[in-house]
Amino acid sequence: MDGFTCNLKTYRVLKGLTQGELAELVGVRRETIMRLEKAQYNPSLKLAVDISRAVGAPIEEIFVFD
Amino acid sequence: MNDQKKSASRSPRWLPPVLGGAACAALTGAAVWYDLTYNGGRLVYPMDSYAFRPTDIPMLLALALDAAYVLCLFALLLGGILAQRRQIAVTNRTRKLNPKLGLLGVLGLAGLAGFYTYPVYGLYFPFGFFAFFGFLGFFFEGKMSNILMDERFRENAAKAELKAYRTGFIIIFLLLVITGGHSGASSELALPILMTGIALTLALTLFLSEYLLYRYDHDDALDLEEEE
Repeated sequence: MDGFTCNLKTYRVLKGLTQGELAELVGVRRETIMRLEKAQYNPSLKLAVDISRAVGAPIEEIFVFD
Repeated sequence: MNDQKKSASRSPRWLPPVLGGAACAALTGAAVWYDLTYNGGRLVYPMDSYAFRPTDIPMLLALALDAAYVLCLFALLLGGILAQRRQIAVTNRTRKLNPKLGLLGVLGLAGLAGFYTYPVYGLYFPFGFFAFFGFLGFFFEGKMSNILMDERFRENAAKAELKAYRTGFIIIFLLLVITGGHSGASSELALPILMTGIALTLALTLFLSEYLLYRYDHDDALDLEEEE
């Protein structure tokens, strides 16, 4: 996705979560987390907030739009 | 533990309707036999006008029972669909479906009967059976059975449906142009062509929405073999 960078993997690993665990925490499938980490999926605001809370990092640092 | 025992001892859900249907068929058969043997078959063969006789009672009762059975089947079907929808809303998971149900799509071949009934009897409704090809979509729906419907899944589903509907509308539009707009096309020919075309388009749309959803979902899974 042009102009979209996702640093989710970094923060997830820092938090010690697997993709599956994070997916369960935020109520999505593991494939969605994988897509997000590859910056190939643009999440909804709700999902972005949920992920931000789950990994304990600000949204703007996890999802970066140019 | 008790629940397990109860569920094990409980008869399968399909058994009561099947037994009920068999009972109805047996009673109707007996009523037909009675009518042919003791009533001159007056309710079996076509008649011009009807006047009640007490000897008609077995046949009338059998017909009433059949009608009640059909109503019960509809009620069961509706109840099942509503219960499934409630469950989907609660669990947020796709419905449980066996991919083998896709084999029902073979029923679409029944549409070929139209090529016999139309020239011989002038009946074109069998062409409508081509719509059963849409059941082939159960194959792909079954492959995505009981999975979490997260926002990406819903987006993919909407995208797949949109593409399928758009394809269907384009085909129907072309069909109308070709049959209706063609000055040389006779109405006798246009009717079965439209019937066949619309049935096939319906089947294609139903199938495409499931197939495309599977493709969008499956392609994601394929190229995302990644370490945790």
